[in-house]
Amino acid sequence: MPNLKLVRELQRAVGRKWVLHAAEDLLVYEYDATIERGLPESVVLPDSAEQVAEVVRIARRHGAAVTARGAGTGLSGGAIPCDGGVVIVTSRMNRILEVDAENRIAVLEPGVVNLDVSRAVAGHGLYYAPDPSSQKACTIGGNVAENAGGPHCLRYGTTTNHVLGLEVVTPDGDLVRLGGRTPDPPGYDLTGLAVGSEGTLCIVTKVIVRLLHSPESTVTLLAIFDEVDQASGAVSAIIAQGIVPSALEMIDGNTMRAVEEAVHAGYPPDAGAALLIEVDGLEEETRELAESVQAICQELGARELRIGFSAEDRERLWAGRKGALGALGRLAPSYYILDGVVPRTKLPAVLRGVYEACDRFGFPVANVFHAGDGNLHPNIMFDERVPGATQRVLDLGEVIMRLCVEAGGSITGEHGVGYEKRNYMSWIFSEDDLEMMSRVKLAFGSGDAFNPGKVFPSSKGCGEVSSRMRAAIAKAGPDAYV
Amino acid sequence: MVKQTSVLSRLESIVGREGVLGDVAALAVDGLTPQAAVAPASYEQVAEVMRYAHAEGLAVIPRGGGAHMHIGNVPARYDIALSLSRLNGVVEHEPADLTATVQAGMTLGELQRHLAGAGQILPLDPPGGERATIGGILAANAWGPWRHAFGSARDMTIGLRVVTAEGRITRAGGRVVKNVAGYDLCKLYVGSLGTLGVIVEATFKLAPLPREQRTVASAFPTAGDACALAAAVSGRGLSVRSLTLARDGGAWVLALKLAGTPAAVERSRRELGALAQVADAGAPAGVLPDGASLLCKASVLPSQLPALIDALEALEAPRLLAYPTVGVCYAAWPSPVDAESIAGAVRELTSAAGGTLVLERCPLDLKRRADVFGDASASFGLMRRVKQQFDPHGVLSPGRFVGRL
Repeated sequence: MPNLKLVRELQRAVGRKWVLHAAEDLLVYEYDATIERGLPESVVLPDSAEQVAEVVRIARRHGAAVTARGAGTGLSGGAIPCDGGVVIVTSRMNRILEVDAENRIAVLEPGVVNLDVSRAVAGHGLYYAPDPSSQKACTIGGNVAENAGGPHCLRYGTTTNHVLGLEVVTPDGDLVRLGGRTPDPPGYDLTGLAVGSEGTLCIVTKVIVRLLHSPESTVTLLAIFDEVDQASGAVSAIIAQGIVPSALEMIDGNTMRAVEEAVHAGYPPDAGAALLIEVDGLEEETRELAESVQAICQELGARELRIGFSAEDRERLWAGRKGALGALGRLAPSYYILDGVVPRTKLPAVLRGVYEACDRFGFPVANVFHAGDGNLHPNIMFDERVPGATQRVLDLGEVIMRLCVEAGGSITGEHGVGYEKRNYMSWIFSEDDLEMMSRVKLAFGSGDAFNPGKVFPSSKGCGEVSSRMRAAIAKAGPDAYV
Repeated sequence: MVKQTSVLSRLESIVGREGVLGDVAALAVDGLTPQAAVAPASYEQVAEVMRYAHAEGLAVIPRGGGAHMHIGNVPARYDIALSLSRLNGVVEHEPADLTATVQAGMTLGELQRHLAGAGQILPLDPPGGERATIGGILAANAWGPWRHAFGSARDMTIGLRVVTAEGRITRAGGRVVKNVAGYDLCKLYVGSLGTLGVIVEATFKLAPLPREQRTVASAFPTAGDACALAAAVSGRGLSVRSLTLARDGGAWVLALKLAGTPAAVERSRRELGALAQVADAGAPAGVLPDGASLLCKASVLPSQLPALIDALEALEAPRLLAYPTVGVCYAAWPSPVDAESIAGAVRELTSAAGGTLVLERCPLDLKRRADVFGDASASFGLMRRVKQQFDPHGVLSPGRFVGRL
């Protein structure tokens, strides 16, 4: 049952209209793009940093945990309130507060949609580089929390390389500025620490980002190979030749066949894999690099090469990659996206291991991922209505994560640890390593105040509150809350 | 107070006779001489030294080549100099991964020579980098002209091995170029000036060596004109790796390093020629003498730089070096008559421009009175709590950091 006193105080802080507490309203906020579920006790949509601070203070007084939520596109359960409590949704705080084109800086509220930043500054010949696949929907606040990546991070880095400063609300309900617009602010780099902290240390209310000049020329290549091994060999060869493309993506045969049915990208049905390679810079540079990349791909057995110079042609080459996840939805009722990283040279061996493991578990897999970074995204297709299937898929995910770790890699490259991978943390970090991380949490005083149950190993289940609420709703019958 | 002889003998039992450094006076920091100096030969020895220091409350200042020891406040205490100089090897360099793991005591010069063999570089070029060590560069967050193209150490450090104040060997980050597992403690250690842990090993993203490099220079009557060219070059996306601005006699000279494919360098050179009168030049000479007794590092928005430089000129700063696209200007006075009033004036100018000032070098009497990092920022409370958590007994470079942490 919702704490009505808490709800009333929240309503006074942000206005009645912006506090949700009816069961049917809350259901919308119990999920993100992962398998986990967790139902909040109330949802608040504040309009300003001051309101966020006030909501945090109220929630803390009532001992309720606070979980921040952007667009809910996260892939590690970052926005799922494991302990119920209050969910702060940032969708009303979606103003671009300032664009300083001369100094290539933008100041954003956390609810601004990623792609809207680049749209807003395009007139100045600028753009915001991190481009997660969900960039049409995902918010900057969520990007900061998860240190989001994307295809073009190969050359330009992830969110953390583009955030100069933050305004955050601490667990005490104080508004604090971290970092700033000017270079090297004296003191510890708390901005760098807050980025990627998955909403467990503070709640972001303002983000200062660095913008880049749009390149003069961009060339996109699609190289199609018979075998996955040939494609991963080409990835290593390109990097080894001293070429760092702006993007270097792999689409495997299973993905290509799914995409072909959905978006008709012109992929041959018997191909093993394709590489999507993009270079940008001065025209002279991109022309030369594109030629080198073509030569490497040909030498490694590419059976077909397509090249796009104009925006329309490049868009067409990207269509298959961008439509991949949607297309996979046609193959199975559910899919589970994994996120692991390996050293680039280990890519061929680990990919082979991924296919073997999926065969062994009897699930089809489609790999579409950031090969240039060694950042794998196996998509395991399954039907969650089949009893036991979800658990088997999670087990398979664990096997694949083990492969990444054994190859010297990491359990997450850009999606975050969240709930699902918290118990894998001890595979790559010692107790002492984790202890130093937990001391950061102590320094921020966040304890279980913000986004509890995430990042750190724990045996506590997520969404216990949620399942209670669901049971209550089910018992009351379908019409009870309509 | 632990007796000096017992400190020495305990340390010797940890690092062996060969690990004890005799000349402690040479390792003085801001006039303070340590009781003992050691150069451990393994991470475990570093950890053992820290366990001992932590238990006894002895203050440790880690050091590499000593290139950045002038940065920071006067230490509150200084018992043990901890030199990383014997931990100086490449741990792993897989060229096809474009990453390398190295020990903290390796000099940047040595590392660059090693990487050049594979056609790669660590894209960091702080002045004095030849003798500066990796650990020191990371602790001081030192950088150079290449920052324009590559960012600073925080952008290329993907993993660290750190011995904590309590003497535990820990890891932050990893060995892969993309990694969001857990809090990014690398960010916290980089630039923490040896106050949160002892960096013993680092893993970096590397960059390929450019196929062609060329340095050109252009002279302007005012800093503003030079900064305008810098902005135009950067806006056109020309293949520029670095831009540095320095006064040379009556003129302002903007030196640009062009790097990339030969055709791109050629085109960039041509377009530059259309924007300004440029001439081929050698590498820009270091214009900031090591011996300056007052060295100010002012950080502002790039758009504020011309006005700041003009104001610094009005203060008759004898040496000025600026990175116009980064927004940083160094001003040096080799032998100022009144360092305190000059430093105060520069601080006022910088904060009026919305920036921050660090006195990287200043006379000791001034350093004892004023925090070289200026007034504490809004987030100082959090910083103090981080320091307390990471170094509960205050044994790591106590007093040296912002707000005398």
